[in-house]
Amino acid sequence: MVFYSVFVLLWIILAALPWLGFSYGVVWIFLLAVSFTLALSYDIVGGYMGYMNLGHSTFFGLGAYTTAILLNQGFNLFTSLLAAFLLAAFFAALISYPLFRLRGAYFALATFGLISLIEVLTVNLRDLTGGSGGISTPPGNHMLPAYYMVLGVAAATMVLSHSVARSKFGLGLFSIREDEEVAQSFGVPTSLYKGLALVISSVPASLVGGIYVWNMTYVSPESVFGLEIALSPIIMAMLGGTGVMIGPLVGAVFITLVQEFLWTKVPYFHLAMYGTVLVLLGLFMPGGIVRTRWVKPFIQRLGLGEAVEYFKNVDAERMS
Amino acid sequence: MSRFLECRKISKVFGGIKALNNVSLSVAPHSIVGVIGPNGAGKTTLFNIISGSLLPSTGEVIFKGKRISGMGPARVCRLGIARTYQLVRPFNSLSAMENVMIGLAFGRAEPVARRARVAEAFKILQMVGLEGKTNHAAEGLTLVEKKHLEIARALATAPQILLLDEVVSGLNPTEITRTVDTIKQIQKRGITIIMVEHILKVVMALCERVVVLNYGVQIAEGTPEQVVLDEAVIEAYIGSFEDAEEKPHA
Amino acid sequence: MSADFIQLLVGGILLGGIYGLAAFGLSITFGVLNVLNLAHGDFLMLGSLLSYGLFVWLGINPFVAAILVIPAFMVLGVGFYLLLLKPIADKPPHQLLVASILVTLGASLFIEDITAYFWERPVTGISYTLPPMEVAGVVISSTRLLVLLFIFALACAMQLYLKKTFVGKSIRAIVQGREGAKVVGIPISRVSALAFSIGMALAASAGAFYVTLFTVTPVMGIPLTIKYLCVVVLGGLGSIVGSVFGGLILGVAETLTAYYCGAEWAPTIAFVLLILILIVRPEGLFGAKK
Ligand SMILES: Nc1ncnc2c1ncn2[C@@H]1O[C@H](COP(=O)(O)OP(=O)(O)OP(=O)(O)O)[C@@H](O)[C@H]1O
Ligand SMILES: [Mg+2]
Repeated sequence: MVFYSVFVLLWIILAALPWLGFSYGVVWIFLLAVSFTLALSYDIVGGYMGYMNLGHSTFFGLGAYTTAILLNQGFNLFTSLLAAFLLAAFFAALISYPLFRLRGAYFALATFGLISLIEVLTVNLRDLTGGSGGISTPPGNHMLPAYYMVLGVAAATMVLSHSVARSKFGLGLFSIREDEEVAQSFGVPTSLYKGLALVISSVPASLVGGIYVWNMTYVSPESVFGLEIALSPIIMAMLGGTGVMIGPLVGAVFITLVQEFLWTKVPYFHLAMYGTVLVLLGLFMPGGIVRTRWVKPFIQRLGLGEAVEYFKNVDAERMS
Repeated sequence: MSRFLECRKISKVFGGIKALNNVSLSVAPHSIVGVIGPNGAGKTTLFNIISGSLLPSTGEVIFKGKRISGMGPARVCRLGIARTYQLVRPFNSLSAMENVMIGLAFGRAEPVARRARVAEAFKILQMVGLEGKTNHAAEGLTLVEKKHLEIARALATAPQILLLDEVVSGLNPTEITRTVDTIKQIQKRGITIIMVEHILKVVMALCERVVVLNYGVQIAEGTPEQVVLDEAVIEAYIGSFEDAEEKPHA
Repeated sequence: MSADFIQLLVGGILLGGIYGLAAFGLSITFGVLNVLNLAHGDFLMLGSLLSYGLFVWLGINPFVAAILVIPAFMVLGVGFYLLLLKPIADKPPHQLLVASILVTLGASLFIEDITAYFWERPVTGISYTLPPMEVAGVVISSTRLLVLLFIFALACAMQLYLKKTFVGKSIRAIVQGREGAKVVGIPISRVSALAFSIGMALAASAGAFYVTLFTVTPVMGIPLTIKYLCVVVLGGLGSIVGSVFGGLILGVAETLTAYYCGAEWAPTIAFVLLILILIVRPEGLFGAKK
């Protein structure tokens, strides 16, 4: 229960922010919550199930474009968002069939290729998407409602992720991560679960994509299918620690802070720095921050241990 | 009436190797059947075929009158056939508890709420003597504990038939006695057991009937006492001894 | 068949040969290390830039450059292996997977970003041409023909190396089974380093040809690696012959798509082929059925 209280408290504080005069903080938290939602929804497939879906931002982009196009057609926001997530979920279901015939690194690389495929499609289908120039949506200041909507989606994603981790479905995903063949021999309907996990993870991503364009009033292939948007949620999840909810949160805060203070000072080499972070993570800390020797006990003492539950006795040393 | 479990003329070819050649086996309910034979005889392959992990090249497996070969391992498990792995394969980074809960959740067992599932998992872990390790990651357990976890996970699926692949090999005498007791307990619950085992003493103590394989061919079948006196069996085992002794010089 | 079509076909086969060569390198490293090197395309890119530099500054012809880059990239490959891959080589499978993706993807981003900083303009082909020839009424660029021959020779040499030499046999043994290879006393780590560096050199060498025909940009590495994935899956995981054929199919498909549907659609064909083969025959054209 401590677990829930901490987050409820956090969300109350965040919800109060706009009324306390932190208008800059609101923009910042908005972007943070978008990244966090992406990282957390990525983690259902990448962390729980162990399939690194490097193409998670495809859903974000699909959500963004669908919303933008429908808004321009005169549909209201909720219809557009509904259509956005239905489309993304449908797409996820469709693509899961061929993609999950690949495993491991091949799956990761293929999903990465998916982003460029959809990017090329958006650039080429000029009449629908405005080509490489992108499209603008009806103008207006939507910062405040968008802020609350994203907070809502983020909270819902947390509840989703938490309940998945405690459900039969979650157990099935974990078993697939550990040994898919054995999972199958123990009755886990692996194909169904893999497809379902991808569909579930696509929903929050496409929703924040839609809210994001609604707020920014502009979308271009570069802004939603670029390398940074593709990789930063994954880096957040990996840096924080995959497979536990607290991980993506820690990672998102950390990376957003770095972006805030470093990116503005150093205009070059952003990707190179991401690259370096990835290499260092791979070499020294594949378990992420929350599973390092120094942080894990602290997090457990905070009462968040419940979320680190199933890694309880895996030594940090052995994870790294 | 067809038997409980029946393997009809099963053959399995890997590349050029005939791992199984026309093997037939029928198992009565509530019995313990042993499958023995020298290394590479095809015992594990037979288990892989019964449990649906492999398709037989020819032949079929019938369980309670239903043809199960070709159904896929997940459905075979839900129908009530569970297995352990000779080279242990627990879900490494999950706790012992979660390993067993996966068996409970996806096997033939009645679906229950999470809390009841935890309680049930604990009972099963107790039965194999792992009640002290419930929250330990499987990765960190000793080999014996991993083997017991394998049994627990398979039991959790509420099987009617349990396939045990060399669960006592590699254990010391006290551990063997313990494991044999556990197996007896499992049989008392009305679960049919097919076990592959190299340690003949264990086979003699537990099994009612024994099937002997050699190079994929079924060379003998009968009570343990009959089988150990069978000439073909002695020949096969001694043959494999001689092979083993000759190899270093070759 | 029209002369145009034959020209296209030749161009496609040539491109395919280059893909095949590089994908072959990727296959070897995956087979030996069980690591899919996501930075593989970047080595083709670097090889291209290096041979371009050699041509522009020193006037070295691309065929010589294709040979010269081999030792250079083998050294680089050993360094890459020792620094980034050896430390993670002994992790259990799932951790190896995660760590290897992180490390190679990170390296790829790093290489591309740094290269893009120093190399702002895309490099548009080396202006190196030999007089064209006429075969049965079709004019064929003899440069292209020579490139094709060269790639073919290189592939044969590779095949021979793997079949005949001790190291080559060790590499194949490790591909067959790491544990078994360890048991018979093959020095896994040393052979892995060598295999990795060979894979890298093949990519770089393919790059030297690539730059004679196509535009090279620093950010083309990852899209290229994805094409190799398509090639490898098309051919069947672990099949060397498959890689070559997969490469040819992709090369021809891409060239034809660019011609008939417009160049902007060419990048999609690799992925479309990948999806198709996964639906129709997931084990690949030359892969063994399970
Ligand atoms: N997946 C496979 N691919 C190719 N050959 C296999 C495969 N599985 C088993 N074999 C071969 O089939 C034969 C029988 O193997 P199996 O594992 O069934 O023997 P076993 O009786 O269980 O031996 P052991 O006592 O050593 O466990 C062996 O020659 C083995 O090499
Ligand atoms: Mg065996």
